[in-house]
Amino acid sequence: MRNALALVVVIVLAVLMMAGVSQLPPPGSPDGAVHRHVAAHYIDGGKEAAGAPNLVTAVLLNYRALDTYGEVVVIFAALIAVLAVGLAGHSRGPQRQPEELPVSPVVDLVVRLMAPFIALFALFMILEGHVLPGGGFQGGVVLGALMILLGLVLGPRRLRRMLPTPALFWTRAVALLAFALAAGAGLALAGWLFALPEQPWLRELIIVGLELAIGIGAALALVGFYLSLEADRHR
Amino acid sequence: MSPNDVFDLLILSLLILSALAIARMKDLAAAVILFSVYSFALCLLWVHRGAPDVAMTEAAVGAGITAVLFFYTLARTGRKEK
Repeated sequence: MRNALALVVVIVLAVLMMAGVSQLPPPGSPDGAVHRHVAAHYIDGGKEAAGAPNLVTAVLLNYRALDTYGEVVVIFAALIAVLAVGLAGHSRGPQRQPEELPVSPVVDLVVRLMAPFIALFALFMILEGHVLPGGGFQGGVVLGALMILLGLVLGPRRLRRMLPTPALFWTRAVALLAFALAAGAGLALAGWLFALPEQPWLRELIIVGLELAIGIGAALALVGFYLSLEADRHR
Repeated sequence: MSPNDVFDLLILSLLILSALAIARMKDLAAAVILFSVYSFALCLLWVHRGAPDVAMTEAAVGAGITAVLFFYTLARTGRKEK
């Protein structure tokens, strides 16, 4: 009985959704409703107004920077939550020495060989994200993935030594601080949040700075998750 | 049907197939790998549909990072679904 009811509900919902979808304009058509309002405005003036030829970046980091700020806060809150529930394993009495598992020589060689290229590509994505596809978050995730790979191959203790603790404390919040600074500076100097200055080079500099901050913040959040899980595994 | 549509249909059927396989899989490690397959197919679809920014995020987060985090969780919990 309940199954039949669920089936009816699903079918009705599917028919309604299909009816809705069939009314949509074809994807990419220039006179679709979504392309005639703010989107046209972004495409016309986005490059000059937001300091980023890549319009995705222009929308993410300027037109809807407040939204991106919220996303940065979510990632940071997730990291804080993971660290707060005590998975990090620091200062919890004598830690059991983790046995180092042998890594396959193939994996070891490939990771060591590819590491500089992956790091270069991540930096390229972060710094060129306002011109080409990509951006701070994507580059940061690639950077974080690289650090996790190095942790898997070289051992998490060596990875932890590569990240100095006192500096880490503040750099984890760098994306949050950079966004707050950009928002506050815009509000103080021009009267609205995330307002950019007149000079084009300064606009570009601020966008690149925000990208860099997002990248570092995302990479450190991912490494934080990984190190927490790793420390937890040996407890 | 143009070659573009054929490509989209192939990717979409791969997405549905891998999603069904994930739901039915009893071996959770295999399910995590299928999750990566799903994400990678979706990444191809994003590229094909002209959204390279989203595709990069999908490839890095969906196909890469989540798999590692899931595997660590499996190492702590267990590989088989009860």
